[in-house]
Amino acid sequence: MSDRLLQATNLSIHGEGVSIAPIAFTLARGGRLTLLGETGSGKSLVAQAIMGILPIGLGASGELVIEGRGYAAADGASRRALWGRRLALLPQEPWHALDPTMASGAQVAESHRFLGGLGRRRAREAALGDLAGLGLEGADRRLPGELSGGMAQRVAFAAASAGGAPLVIADEPTKGLDAPRRDAVVRLLAATPERGGALLTITHDIEVARRLGGEVILLRRGRVVERGPAEQLLSAPRSDYARRLLDAEPARWPAPPPPNTTGEPIVEASGLAKWRGGRELFRDLDLRLKPGEIVGVVGPSGCGKSTLGDLLLGLTALDAGEVKRAPGHRLAFQKLYQDPPAAFSPHWTLARLLEDLVRRHRLDRAAIAPLMTRLGLDRALLERRPGEISGGELQRFAILRVLLMEPRFLFADEPTSRLDPITQRDTLALLVQLARERHCAVMLVSHDPALIERVCDRRLVLGGEEAALASESLDAQAV
Amino acid sequence: MSATTPFTAGRVGRRRLATRQRLGLGLLGLLLAIAWLTPWLHDADPARQQLTRILELPTLATPLGTDHLGRDLLARTAAALRLSLGMALLSVVSAAVPGILLGVIAGWRGGWVDRVLGSLADACLALPGLLLVLLLVAIAPGNFWALYVGIALVLWIEYFRVVRARTRVLVASPQLEASRLLGFGPGYLFRRHLWPELAPQVLTLAAFGAASAILAMAALGFVSVGLRPPTAELGLMMTELLPYYHEAPWAMAQPILVLCLLVLSLNLLAGRDPR
Repeated sequence: MSDRLLQATNLSIHGEGVSIAPIAFTLARGGRLTLLGETGSGKSLVAQAIMGILPIGLGASGELVIEGRGYAAADGASRRALWGRRLALLPQEPWHALDPTMASGAQVAESHRFLGGLGRRRAREAALGDLAGLGLEGADRRLPGELSGGMAQRVAFAAASAGGAPLVIADEPTKGLDAPRRDAVVRLLAATPERGGALLTITHDIEVARRLGGEVILLRRGRVVERGPAEQLLSAPRSDYARRLLDAEPARWPAPPPPNTTGEPIVEASGLAKWRGGRELFRDLDLRLKPGEIVGVVGPSGCGKSTLGDLLLGLTALDAGEVKRAPGHRLAFQKLYQDPPAAFSPHWTLARLLEDLVRRHRLDRAAIAPLMTRLGLDRALLERRPGEISGGELQRFAILRVLLMEPRFLFADEPTSRLDPITQRDTLALLVQLARERHCAVMLVSHDPALIERVCDRRLVLGGEEAALASESLDAQAV
Repeated sequence: MSATTPFTAGRVGRRRLATRQRLGLGLLGLLLAIAWLTPWLHDADPARQQLTRILELPTLATPLGTDHLGRDLLARTAAALRLSLGMALLSVVSAAVPGILLGVIAGWRGGWVDRVLGSLADACLALPGLLLVLLLVAIAPGNFWALYVGIALVLWIEYFRVVRARTRVLVASPQLEASRLLGFGPGYLFRRHLWPELAPQVLTLAAFGAASAILAMAALGFVSVGLRPPTAELGLMMTELLPYYHEAPWAMAQPILVLCLLVLSLNLLAGRDPR
């Protein structure tokens, strides 16, 4: 058997408005390759082309050699027999990849049974072992809908890797995971090449690429910008784009200016408690937010960060405790969402949506233009619909909409986690600056501790039983 | 799984009609024209009997021939078509309006409102549709309004279910929450968020609903529990002409063909392109 597990030559993808320039790479046993690039750079399509599951309307060309056998990239069906046994894909959004009506343990056992050829009982035992190894004891009887994103991710990983495929393709394996859990997934992935397999990872997270090591190919808009060993590319990049991308990492952001928070608190919470699904999210949580203050909220997935914001906004009922909001208009309490397109009706132009808001509250039209300039929003964008502009632009439009309401408290629920690093840095910097100018308190949720540290005046750490994987102490506490 | 397919900025709205939908629309337009232009171009009373001229072949004076009582078939077919189309429109509107309204209320409010309305819909569903209509017709025989209320009662449920399911999803979505936080009221939320999502599904249902209302009325007419003679109605015409299909097959063929084309046009219109 050849030492090369995967070799791609002249692999390119083309179709409706998409073009990925021909790329070539080789993965040997024990090798690891990372395709790094911002959202929309076409990374995921490369994984889909290798598997042979490109969306309708897209085609691939080029040659693939998998374990010494050649395949035409265009003939997607030819790789079907390899799925699970020789070639495994960890899909991007695991909760879509898992069967929502089937217990987690059974889904993993299925792979052991039908791909690994184990008996029913042995498959079940193997599945339990896999889940326990991933810190998922007791999750085997739960349905995917009852799991948090991070847990679903690990169940999907267990199900995909149970077939023992030597070649693993991980498509954005750490999307939406917090730092400790992300590192755990990275360790999990790194085990494949250590066992003698090969790993192809697709990610937008520079830290993941750094931790995985091996070779890195940096993609932008379907073109290879730079490639080389991870250590070299990520410490001494040659291309201008790579340099900018690395500079946009939260750890390298300039230190935050000192806070100037004065005045009466805008939101005051005492003795907050919230239960969800028979589990206590937090208890005896006390919190005071002053005008112009930026407070970061961190904690593992599913620890109730978003719920806390909804409690402060009055969107969810309290189980215990009290929230006191500064007297004033209820519209001064606003929220920014994680996924910008999800926060807009996709059917109307931005101009129409803005006009609705102006009419509803008789806002001053003169205030819009300068604010748009400030946010770097071009007037021409207003003629488009939410799905037709980039995520960064749409999030800035959401900020515009919120700022027009003259907010006193803004709950920003991972507002930049779906944006590429450069856009993320610029958007957050702008948000913080504007909030400080307008004496608006901001509660910023993020998975990234480095980001919180750079942006926020204070930090609130939430935790729960799931914090077992986390390295730091995660008791509910107000810092 | 390909949630973030790059570069393909999704075009939302502005859906262009598929070929089959255009075909359905054309066919429906043709039938509408026949139904409403005939009284203008061909002056004949659909109920006037001329017993000396029964089962005549088409001539210039009677372009589609006459039936067993010497009535002008073109006039009768056009009148039956008008009745069917009017009935279809009426039953669709009267099923869609309460269905959408109650669906939005149930999906929006949730809780006991949702449960009560859901049980009501289930109770209506428990009876086979045609049976319910037969029941109402038995109470008030030969009455157009009984027929209409019966058909509407059967048809509102599917609007209710579709609208309720979609509304539930949308009410929990960030887009509605964001608009609510920005101070918009229920009317705005319906207009900007709910209706654009509901409209394509409701319109598809309406086209299918119209077809099934037409079929239901013809079926009731055919088994002689629907409208009473001498009304020109497609099902009734079929029954009346059935004994003469040997002597005058063209006469019997007319209501059948018209019914087929009518249902076909509506189904073509409703059917969405599989893409």
